Amino acid sequence: MTVLALQAAATERPFFDLLVTQPDTDVLGAWMIALFTLCVFSFLYKDNPFYKFAEHVFVGAGTAFFTLQYYEEGILEMIGDHIARASEAMDNGTLINLGGYAIEPAWAIGLRCLAAVFALMLLVRLVKSDSWMPRWPLAIMVGVYSALKMTGETQAKLVLPVKGLMQPLTDPSAAAWSDNWTRIEETGVFYTFGTLVVLIGTICALAHFVFTYKRTPMLSGMSRVGIVVLMITFGSMFGFTVLGRIALLIERVVAMGALTGTGYQMAGASGDALAIFTSPPILITTLIILVLLIRKLGGHDKDDVPA
Amino acid sequence: MANVTDFDRRWIFLSIAVLVVALYIAGARSAAPQNAYVQSYYDVIEALPSDSIVMLSADFDPASAAELLPMYQSTIHHLMRRNIRIINVATWPAAPPYTLAEFNRIAPQYGKLYGTDWVELGFLPGDDVAMGLIGTSVKSAFAAEDRNGEPIDSVPIMSGISDSFSGISLLITLSAGYPGILEWIAQAGGRYNIPILTGTTAVQTSDLYAFYPTQLAGFVGGATGATRYLEMVGEETADLHATRDDNQNRMMIQEWAHMLILLLIVIGNVIYFTGRGSKS
Repeated sequence: MTVLALQAAATERPFFDLLVTQPDTDVLGAWMIALFTLCVFSFLYKDNPFYKFAEHVFVGAGTAFFTLQYYEEGILEMIGDHIARASEAMDNGTLINLGGYAIEPAWAIGLRCLAAVFALMLLVRLVKSDSWMPRWPLAIMVGVYSALKMTGETQAKLVLPVKGLMQPLTDPSAAAWSDNWTRIEETGVFYTFGTLVVLIGTICALAHFVFTYKRTPMLSGMSRVGIVVLMITFGSMFGFTVLGRIALLIERVVAMGALTGTGYQMAGASGDALAIFTSPPILITTLIILVLLIRKLGGHDKDDVPA
Repeated sequence: MANVTDFDRRWIFLSIAVLVVALYIAGARSAAPQNAYVQSYYDVIEALPSDSIVMLSADFDPASAAELLPMYQSTIHHLMRRNIRIINVATWPAAPPYTLAEFNRIAPQYGKLYGTDWVELGFLPGDDVAMGLIGTSVKSAFAAEDRNGEPIDSVPIMSGISDSFSGISLLITLSAGYPGILEWIAQAGGRYNIPILTGTTAVQTSDLYAFYPTQLAGFVGGATGATRYLEMVGEETADLHATRDDNQNRMMIQEWAHMLILLLIVIGNVIYFTGRGSKS
C-alpha cells in the first residue's frame, strides 16, 4: 500500500486507479507478481528471509484456493446439490442419473450419503490412529482403484504397446533409399533401421534386468547394450527436462519484462532509464540485493556455503 | 585444479540468467523444426468434419502454463476456426480460471455461442477415477448444472452426447502430469477406443513416443512442439501472431541456453576426467 501511495504521488494518478485492476494495467498485481517471483529466485543465491516469506505465502494461498475448489466441486456439488436434485426428482416422481444408470431418487440419496459416511470414517484416524473405521473405506478405495487400473492400464500400457512393438521389419510403401536423400526418415531403409533399433534396444534393456539367470557372456553383452539404451533414454529425458525448466525461466523473464512497461513505472518519462529503474521488477531486485548485502556485511549470514 | 572443482555453482545460475535476459531483450527469433507428431496433431483436427464435438481437457495449472497455455489457445483457435464444437473439462483444480478466460476471449472472435458451440463443465475431482466416470457418462459425472447454472441436459451441445463418449469425435488433453495423458489413455483410450491428441510439458514428452500412433493420434511436446503448432495454426489466425512471434523468440533463447548447458557439461567432464587422470 505504501508503495502504491508513493507511486500515486509520483505519477499523479489517483490511488484508487492503482489499487483496482484496469483494462490495460494491474499495478497492485504487478508489484505482487514481481515481488514473489524475485523472492523465489533469491533462493538461487541462498536460503533467505525473502524466499521464506514467499514460500509461506504461497503455501497459505495455495491451501486456501484448493480447499475452496475441492469444497465447491467435491462437497457442495457432489453432496448438497446432488441431494437437492434427487429430492426434486422424488417430488416429480422421476428417476435420477447416477454413474450412468437411471435409479430411484431415494437410492441416489442413500448411496451418496453412504459415500459421505465413508469419507467421514476416513477422518477417524485423526482422532484414534488404530481405529478399525478407516480400514473399510480404504479397502473399498483400493479395490475400486485396482479394478479401474487393471482393466484400463493393462490394455493401454501393456497389451497395446507390446502389439505396437510387433511391426514388420520392412515397409513396402516407404520411399526407396535412393529416391529421397533429403528426408531420410521417410525411406524404407530408415524404417527398417528404426524398427531394428527399437526391437534390439527393448530386448537388451529387458536383459539388463534379468537377475535370476546365470550371467553368461551373451547375457552380459546384451545387458551392456541395454545400459547404453537406458543411458540414451535418460539423456533424452534430461534434455526434455532442461527444455521445460528453461521454458519456465523464459516465461518469468518475459513476465518481468512486461512489468517494466509504461503504466507500472513510478517516475520518469516513458522509456527513459529512470522510468525503467522505478518499475516493479528492477526496484524489487535492487531492494533484495541491498538487503542481502547488508545482511552479509553485518555478519547475519553465517552459512556461506554455495547453494 | 582444486580451484576449478570448488567452483561456485551460482555463477552458472547467473550466466544462464544473463543469457536469457540478453536474448529476450535482443528479440531474435528462430523457427521450430518440422515435427511429424505435431503434424499428426494438426492433421487429425483438420480431418474432423465440421460440427463435430471434441472434448478438451485442461489438465494443468499455473506452474505449467508457460508451456501449455500457448498450445491451449492455439487448439481452441484451430477448433473454432474449423467450426468444431467443444466440451471443456478439467481434472486439475487450478485450470478452470484459465480455461474460462481463454474461451471468453477467443469464442467471440469466431462468433461462437456458449451452450451451442462450446460448454464449460468445470473441474471434476477424483483423478483417473474421475476420467473413468467421464467415460462412463459425461452427464452424470459432472454436477447437473454447467458453470452458468444451466441444467446440463438443456445445453444444446450436450443433446447429442450419451454414455461411453458417444457423440464425441475426439479427446484432446493438455497435460502437465498426474492426472493427465497417461491416465486418459488408460481410462478413455484403452476402454472406449476414442482417438486422443495431447499437448504436454517437455518433461512428459519422452513417455509418449511408445503410444504413438496406435493409442495417441498425435502430440505437441514442450515448447518446441508448441512453437511449431503455433506456426501452423498462426498462419491464418491474426490473434496468434504475437504469441507465435513470442514463442519463436523463446525458441532462440532455448537454443542458446541448451548450447551453454552443453558447453558446461563438456567442461565439467573434461575437468572431472583430467582430475581423475592426474590423481591416478
